Amino acid sequence: MKQKQLERKLQKKLRVRFGDAVQVSVEGRIIRVSGSLKRWEDIIEACSMCVIKQPGVHVVNDVVFSGGVRAPMRTPGFTDETLEGRRPDVLVIGGGVSGCSIARELTRWKLDVLLVEKEADLALQASGRNDGEVHPGVDLGRGTVKQQYVRKGNAMFDGICRELDVPFRRCGQYVCFADKMTLPLIRMYAWQRRTVCGVTDTQIISAKELYRREPALRPGFAFALYNPSAGCVCPYGLTIAYGENAAANGAQISLNTAVLGMEVREGRIRSVKTNRGTVHPKLVINAAGVFAEDISAMAGDRFYSIHPRRGTNSILDKKAGSLVKSIASIKLLSGNTAHTKGGGILHTVHHNLLVGPNAAETYEKENFATAQADIDEVFAKQKQTSDGLSERDIITYFTGVRAATFEEDFVIERGRRTRNLIHCAGIQSPGLTTAPAVAVDVAALAVRMLGGEGRVRKNESFQPVRRGIPQVRNLPRRERDRLIKENPDYGVIVCRCEEISRGEILDALKSPVPVFTTDGVKKRVRPGMGRCQGGFCLPLVTQIISEYVGVPAEEVKKSGPDAVISYGRKGAAYDGL
Amino acid sequence: MRKLTCITCPNGCALMAEQTDGEIRVSGNRCSRGVDFAVSELTHPMRTISGTMRTVFPELPVAPVRVSAEIPKERIFDVMHEISRMEIKTRMRRGDVVIANVLGLGADVIVTGDMMSSKKP
Amino acid sequence: MTVYDVLVIGGGPGGLAAAISAKKNGADVLLLEREARLGGILKQCIHDGFGLLRFGEKLSGPEYAGRFEDEFHSRSIAYEVQTFVTAILKKKDGFLVRAVNRQGVQEYRTKTLILATGCRERTAKQVAIHGTRPAGIFTAGCAQHFVNLMGQMPAKRCVILGSGDIGLIMARRLTLEGAKVLGVYEVKPEPSGLTRNLIQCLEDYDIPLYLSRTVTRVFGTERLTGVETMRVDEEMRPIPGTKERISCDTLILSVGLIPENEIAEELGVPLDPKTKGPVCDNRFMTMTEGVFSCGNAMHVNDLVDYVSESGEIAGAAAAAYTRADRRLISLKTDDSMLYLVPQRLDLSGGCGGLTLYFRSRESLTEGTLLISVDGREVFRKNYRNLKPPEMERLTLDTSGFGLTEQSGVRLSIVKGGDRV
Repeated sequence: MKQKQLERKLQKKLRVRFGDAVQVSVEGRIIRVSGSLKRWEDIIEACSMCVIKQPGVHVVNDVVFSGGVRAPMRTPGFTDETLEGRRPDVLVIGGGVSGCSIARELTRWKLDVLLVEKEADLALQASGRNDGEVHPGVDLGRGTVKQQYVRKGNAMFDGICRELDVPFRRCGQYVCFADKMTLPLIRMYAWQRRTVCGVTDTQIISAKELYRREPALRPGFAFALYNPSAGCVCPYGLTIAYGENAAANGAQISLNTAVLGMEVREGRIRSVKTNRGTVHPKLVINAAGVFAEDISAMAGDRFYSIHPRRGTNSILDKKAGSLVKSIASIKLLSGNTAHTKGGGILHTVHHNLLVGPNAAETYEKENFATAQADIDEVFAKQKQTSDGLSERDIITYFTGVRAATFEEDFVIERGRRTRNLIHCAGIQSPGLTTAPAVAVDVAALAVRMLGGEGRVRKNESFQPVRRGIPQVRNLPRRERDRLIKENPDYGVIVCRCEEISRGEILDALKSPVPVFTTDGVKKRVRPGMGRCQGGFCLPLVTQIISEYVGVPAEEVKKSGPDAVISYGRKGAAYDGL
Repeated sequence: MRKLTCITCPNGCALMAEQTDGEIRVSGNRCSRGVDFAVSELTHPMRTISGTMRTVFPELPVAPVRVSAEIPKERIFDVMHEISRMEIKTRMRRGDVVIANVLGLGADVIVTGDMMSSKKP
Repeated sequence: MTVYDVLVIGGGPGGLAAAISAKKNGADVLLLEREARLGGILKQCIHDGFGLLRFGEKLSGPEYAGRFEDEFHSRSIAYEVQTFVTAILKKKDGFLVRAVNRQGVQEYRTKTLILATGCRERTAKQVAIHGTRPAGIFTAGCAQHFVNLMGQMPAKRCVILGSGDIGLIMARRLTLEGAKVLGVYEVKPEPSGLTRNLIQCLEDYDIPLYLSRTVTRVFGTERLTGVETMRVDEEMRPIPGTKERISCDTLILSVGLIPENEIAEELGVPLDPKTKGPVCDNRFMTMTEGVFSCGNAMHVNDLVDYVSESGEIAGAAAAAYTRADRRLISLKTDDSMLYLVPQRLDLSGGCGGLTLYFRSRESLTEGTLLISVDGREVFRKNYRNLKPPEMERLTLDTSGFGLTEQSGVRLSIVKGGDRV
């Protein structure tokens, strides 16, 4: 009866706002919103109105969006039979940080792990389009799955980044307050975070101390909330490192592989259809990001909905890097309604500044187009953090789409109706921070579901340590000299802005998950990431890939199979004349 | 009366050329080359042209070439066609002729860059 | 360790001329080039028109560079290619230059440095183009590398943003190779390139030039499928309601060049915000003792002939350099000039010949350059057709100007000719 009561209560709320356009039904732990609305914002509002704070209860959005067309998932434009008939123990869907870290943790066991990613590389969606902050979790309230994992994940970063040879800086985070009057309130808040929420490093620091550490912040701050445990990491670097370590330990990573359908019988996924053949996994892990809901629907286990939320970040020239040495943001007390951590200024591991992100609801899961208004919004806010911030220092910008549920929490659990399925869904910020901890738990759950330690044996030859590609430019002189004498290609600089050598580019092409595209090389060793944005090195990198792979230059692509860089030999226009 | 911009040198003088009874009168020029240019533009426009020619050498897939003298403007694409058909098979030096008297136009196609490996020996 | 008198960073036209000139003046010279071949960007500038001032001929880029390379080699000047400078340390008697090449990490000692590092292109993001990130968006120089050095065609149907010279040259080049160039869009009300390039690169091939219009957005997920253009107002802001979508597979950007001065900045050399190159004196020595600048690293030139000339001046000065106190005065200018080089004049050691480079802010059919010292006019010169894209060069004998360290020297351009 409680269910009916809730239903009536929600329906009443909806009727006031939307009349008869939307209906709600409560089915166990699912609150299903249906009907038809023209504006996407209204759909978001309707579904958000139905959220109740009760663990495990989710809003499912069945409202028809009559005002626009939601594009179908982009899939690789080809089919083959590469995976046909594969029978892996575990199929991981999604090559983001969730999928890759889970795959890596699974290789600690003697399991046949197959990871499929529809894009041409790992970390091409949310995991490659965020600011790389390792959050302290100071902004999260108690009781959420997010909060449960954020401290655990944060604490694992030193270790995991050492093992995977990924640069990580525990640089600290300052949330700056201008109004002195708020100090008692924030003191309380800090105390509560420290003692109740377990964010034990939360401190208040004085303005004097703040400006001593970050002298280029805007003058006039009264104090700051400080968390030394905050850090930054290259988000796609970490994802690729996880993927490579998984591959080195025996997992198969299949790129350009999209899940197109599933055969589900008697509560079990029997087979999974991809563009590269049908596979028959014992267990499926859904780490499909913004498409997690689509995968759950295919698996007959849809009990949550994803509403994409876009955010834009700008990357500033290293020259501006000295403005902020850590992570800094201003806290505006005028109410931060948007679901974002508010954005900030972050000094990256590569010594650029990242400014952003903002947050905007969108019905498009894969529209990564940027707009000037987003940049303007972010800069208007962050100039209040540091007034030295200038749009002139922007070298590039990017938009990412986060996979939020209406509860704004993660869904990490086994399938409710489908028994050989694990959901790792709704992973938005701080999903990068939580990934190491979530992966350990998901892998453990998978092992239990596959029969427990009695049936699944430990992989005795698991090698947790990955040797990354040397960042030759950062080596001490003697070490750099030694390395060049061993391999002269480390002495040939191809990318002048980021000082990347031919040797490092060739290393990227020889890595455990090689991606023979200019973007793939760029993500792994950074040629083209600098201020000229590849103007000088794009032709050179294209040539190196073409020579290494042994294909003509026109077959080297920017990213996906259709991302043609060159149309082929010059002069062809006169052929046959 | 025709307005022209002289392209002989970077000055880019704005010329006025008037043709009366077969005689062409030019004004706006800062030097005598402007007159020659205007007369040529009105009677038989000439241009130079540059391009690249394919080679058989993998480290130098194309070599820069140009015509040694002006050619009629309307024959530019014909000359480009000739250049595109050819392939350089021997190492050449700057100024070497690859197509002598191209299409009988009185100009050669010459290589404009040394094709020797200019890396240090 | 050998201590060179002059170490030149960059083997393009500026660096080659500087090295030759320093050697001619008796210096022990080393030149470092980051690419595999000397010649700098001229290697890919296969079009003709270079060297008209210097040689009286229309040479191609490789030919122009080749002539300097011949002289460079005939003088047996020491050089290294594929050698990339990673750090420069100031030492008591000069500099320690650290570089990497195939042999390892190298260190060189030198009394003076000439920075001839050239310039780079502004990118799509620097002109705030938004939308997706497909393949098919190239700076003009990048497209030029593909076509002219690799023999690859990066375009079929192409829009060019910016009427800078490289953009115009590429419009013709791609057309000659069979691509369709749909138009050149220029955000300013006037073209940015040389007039002769507008004629021989666009008009000759019926390629339209759209002024006061810009590209605001790009489309396409893998390869570019189109661009959005808009008209702009006098402030160069897009005018709502003027959006036009053009279907194309390539966007080429020729939206400006920026001197590359990362090395100079690390050395703490002050830069001029107008030129984005180092502030220099009349010998092209920067405000850091012993560090000289030339070519497009100093300011973006319109003609290579001037790049070579500035290299020669810097080279000779570096060869003659002895540590002596400079007596610098500022050459001040006003809004009538986009910039003026050099920005300082050194009164020590005589100052007979002064070579000035400047660009007018406005297009003037008739204009006059006025030089005054403490409000007193000391020089004037009339110009016809002053245009921002076309740099002006002038040599002056300042010995009669009566200059002292207290003099206020001012240069400006006024509208009109003789009777100003």
